[in-house]
Amino acid sequence: MARVAIDRLSKTFPPPTKGGDPVVAIGDISLDVEGNVFVSIVGPSGCGKSTLLNILSGVETPTRGSASVTEGDRPAHLGYVFQDARLLPWRTVMDNMMYVRDDGDAGAAKAALYLDMVGLSHTHDMFPGQLSGGMQQRVGIARAFSVEPDLLLMDEPFSHLDAITARSLRDHLQELWSATRKTVLFVTHDVVEAVQLSDRIIVLAPGGRIFDDITIDLPPRSPRQKPLVSRRGWPLRASGRRGPPPPSRGTRRR
Amino acid sequence: MTDTVAESIQELDQAQVLRTAAGSRRRRYLAVLLGWLVFIGLWWLLSLWVDSEARLPSPGRVFQEIVIILQGDFWTQFWASIVRVVAGFLAAVLIGTPVGFFMGRSKYWGNFLQSPVIVAGSIPGLTYAVMAFVVFGISFWGPVLAVGLIAMPYVAINVAEGVRGVDRRLVEMSTAYGRNETQVFRHVTVPSVLPFVFAGVRLSFSLAWKVGTLTEVFGSSKGIGFQIRRNYQLFNMPGVIAWVLLFVLFMLLIERFILVRLERRLFRWRQWEREA
Ligand SMILES: Nc1ncnc2c1ncn2[C@@H]1O[C@H](COP(=O)(O)OP(=O)(O)OP(=O)(O)O)[C@@H](O)[C@H]1O
Ligand SMILES: [Mg+2]
Repeated sequence: MARVAIDRLSKTFPPPTKGGDPVVAIGDISLDVEGNVFVSIVGPSGCGKSTLLNILSGVETPTRGSASVTEGDRPAHLGYVFQDARLLPWRTVMDNMMYVRDDGDAGAAKAALYLDMVGLSHTHDMFPGQLSGGMQQRVGIARAFSVEPDLLLMDEPFSHLDAITARSLRDHLQELWSATRKTVLFVTHDVVEAVQLSDRIIVLAPGGRIFDDITIDLPPRSPRQKPLVSRRGWPLRASGRRGPPPPSRGTRRR
Repeated sequence: MTDTVAESIQELDQAQVLRTAAGSRRRRYLAVLLGWLVFIGLWWLLSLWVDSEARLPSPGRVFQEIVIILQGDFWTQFWASIVRVVAGFLAAVLIGTPVGFFMGRSKYWGNFLQSPVIVAGSIPGLTYAVMAFVVFGISFWGPVLAVGLIAMPYVAINVAEGVRGVDRRLVEMSTAYGRNETQVFRHVTVPSVLPFVFAGVRLSFSLAWKVGTLTEVFGSSKGIGFQIRRNYQLFNMPGVIAWVLLFVLFMLLIERFILVRLERRLFRWRQWEREA
């Protein structure tokens, strides 16, 4: 069970123009996430969502405060799905999957398994440029899952896609998640998407502060998983049998 | 049922694509051939009008000379030139690549090296040829130095451009997945810079050949440049033109059959890259 501990974290970028004000991407955030929960982070553009994930993954360093991701007493193992696919264009799909692992041939089977799960088992030897945007994004998702991370970071993974592809990938994410039950931090603009997927929603406000922290305590979540787990017709499942309507009775805790 | 229909449509499409490709290739070759014919025809007419072998020999006369050269010491002379140009080129890549790397990596080194590299790149080739002759006299190293000096700035500037163009997002992805610096260098930096190195080489290739040959004209006792001078001193105009033509032909062949093929093979992935 991964644990994310963020303590009075802030991140300031140097002013974009000479003599301007520094950009406060994150202003004093404290947050704890523990266990196998799906947490969404929503908020308007520029409020520091991507920056937060970048700090957690070690891409950026904090200006003040601290952020740590642990699994027991070791640093947690991360998977990261970016806003764009971020594949190496000069490597085939399979080589891209292998680039993020260190276990050689033993890992190849695992990589193939996850590619299969996103319906891309026929693309092993293709280059990213030969795939559509949605397919590339699916490779990115498969890559993140295939490292079997303790914590999965996802930064608006569906925002560049059309509605139908986004929906089928969302369903697919739910399948993968219910099969693996990672700790997930999921950034999105889309409140409906957040409600559909999460156990908890963190709302950020401009200036990188926590505006609200909502726990969705929704027992009927489980029956909803049934039709979603059964895998049929991917990725053509557009009829999308939904579960109960979005919760109107999320308990709110502040 | 639907599958077979779809498949046969696909097959039809593919056949169509192949046929069109073959057609356009044939048309391209035809255009190239026509270009040469027109060129030789004009030359022939001009030589009829000039009517002086010492000034402008006819294509037929030059062709005879080419045959004589090919039967004689053509390969020894060409080999001498090739070795020098390649040696100079290697030196240019070996020095230009790290210089370009530093220029692209750090602002300080970029500013420090920029002016010398740009100045070096804008000096006319003749200057290098003379300089190489002054430094080495008649020697193997003169043309090597000239070629190295003329090609190095191109390689450096292109590598710097390539390093600046490394996709930061791919580096971030690598960091997030815990890749170390060696891995990032090997799998992200090198593949993104390589096309730029290649572009630099191709850009400076013909220039380097010209300067190498020019240097041979006065600073060598071997090679194509030397042969051009020797024939000139013997007032053998057909010989001069024959050597020049062989030189041009040879460069075209290297360009078409070695550089272009190598590039295509190395950068197979680029064929499908769609820029967003
Ligand atoms: N590397 C950087 N250098 C300078 N400023 C940055 C950098 N990264 C982010 N910022 C700034 O920090 C702020 C937060 O950016 P961030 O990308 O985290 O926003 P976001 O919430 O992910 O927005 P979006 O929803 O549009 O993706 C923005 O004002 C942005 O301009
Ligand atoms: Mg963002």
